[in-house]
Amino acid sequence: MESMRNTPRSCSKLVALLIIPCCYLVGCASSVVVQSDFPTPLVEPLPVRVGLIFGEELRDFQHHEELPQQANWTIDLGDISITMLQPLFESMFVETQNVEAIPVDMPENNTLDGILKASLNRFEFDVPVNSDNKFAEVWMQYQLDLYEPGGELITEWQVSGYGKAEIGRTKRTESVSRAAINAMREVGATISTRFAQQPQIGFWLKERQNTDFINE
Amino acid sequence: MNRTAILKTGILGMLVTLLCSCGVTSRIEPYKQTNSVIGADDQLVVLARKHHTNYEAESDIVECISDGLANGSEALNVHSSVEFEDKLYPWFEPSIAPLDTEDLSELLEKPGVAGRIEETRVRFVVWLDGSTERVASGGGISCAAGVGGAGCMGLAWWEDDARYDVTVWDIQELASAGTIYADYKGRSVMPAIVIPIPLIARPRAAACKGLTQQLREFLTSPFGYGSSPSLIGATE
Repeated sequence: MESMRNTPRSCSKLVALLIIPCCYLVGCASSVVVQSDFPTPLVEPLPVRVGLIFGEELRDFQHHEELPQQANWTIDLGDISITMLQPLFESMFVETQNVEAIPVDMPENNTLDGILKASLNRFEFDVPVNSDNKFAEVWMQYQLDLYEPGGELITEWQVSGYGKAEIGRTKRTESVSRAAINAMREVGATISTRFAQQPQIGFWLKERQNTDFINE
Repeated sequence: MNRTAILKTGILGMLVTLLCSCGVTSRIEPYKQTNSVIGADDQLVVLARKHHTNYEAESDIVECISDGLANGSEALNVHSSVEFEDKLYPWFEPSIAPLDTEDLSELLEKPGVAGRIEETRVRFVVWLDGSTERVASGGGISCAAGVGGAGCMGLAWWEDDARYDVTVWDIQELASAGTIYADYKGRSVMPAIVIPIPLIARPRAAACKGLTQQLREFLTSPFGYGSSPSLIGATE
């Protein structure tokens, strides 16, 4: 009797046995592309002219992670952070303009009060395995660095946002996307309502108002 | 009585018991503390409380109540929840949204907020707090397949609890108009005699229907509606 191990037929079975779990694993890889519009905040603009710099990672951000008992996740934020932050800053300050670098090379007739650099420090998420937990969760931490136009750092402010979205009849990937959008809305809400309340920023704003008053 | 008749009676009795054990039990406690009623030009908005870490009112019950109030013979003017939150962004985001009418008064003093709310014509904000949770489950079903066929045998059951607190704010009066507490418990059973037969209770759908009906009365009845805490209980 021919041994089963050495036949071409048994080899093909072995290949099939290897391919099936691989296909299964590939099928479990989850990919999320986060896209959304954000509302313009209803806030009174602060009387300062601010230059804006967005960190390179904000232009094309991707998060890769393998969750325990789950497959690989890829969350593609692309440039959605800029989509959220640019109009947010435009409504927060009387005047904004995008600048290339710090310190700013300014023409005499175009003076800025400060430079705000935004970057994304951390991105974390969780998708429940069992049915007891109904929410996908996302936690994000942005960093805002405020500089004098000459390049001197005024303050660093870390802003966190948490978002959750129920996993009901929708796909898990859609829930993660909605949770990320909710987290970003929270970040936008915190920045637009608490920016001026930060001690160093409050001092900088007062200083700028006094300077304007003296110049007038 | 022969053996077949006894068996038939037994199975019938078991099915009746199962059908009786499946259903929704409701408890509603409305409390209206003002005589405010919604005007012909006034709008209302239903918003979910989202600041709790472990639960939040599901978006489908918010939509269900909004649609229920906006439709029917006594339709009310209901503003879209998403549009309202976007127009008032960031002031109704979970971490910033007013938690009581004092917070609401402070919010209305902020530049542009009162004007924007006036543009929406929203007079009543209906806050929905709570969720539907599975509180118990048990039993089991075994299935087997063979050459002669396949079949299942057993009994599974589960109980869902839809518990919601509704708070109605009157923006014109800057006061809470009252509250409605609703608790709907639903027990579902799935007997399997060869094939599983799901007898599913839907307490969230029942809570939506009950709360919509109560809210409609709440917003349109000036006197004699839930003037003190009372119980309205029913089994469906």
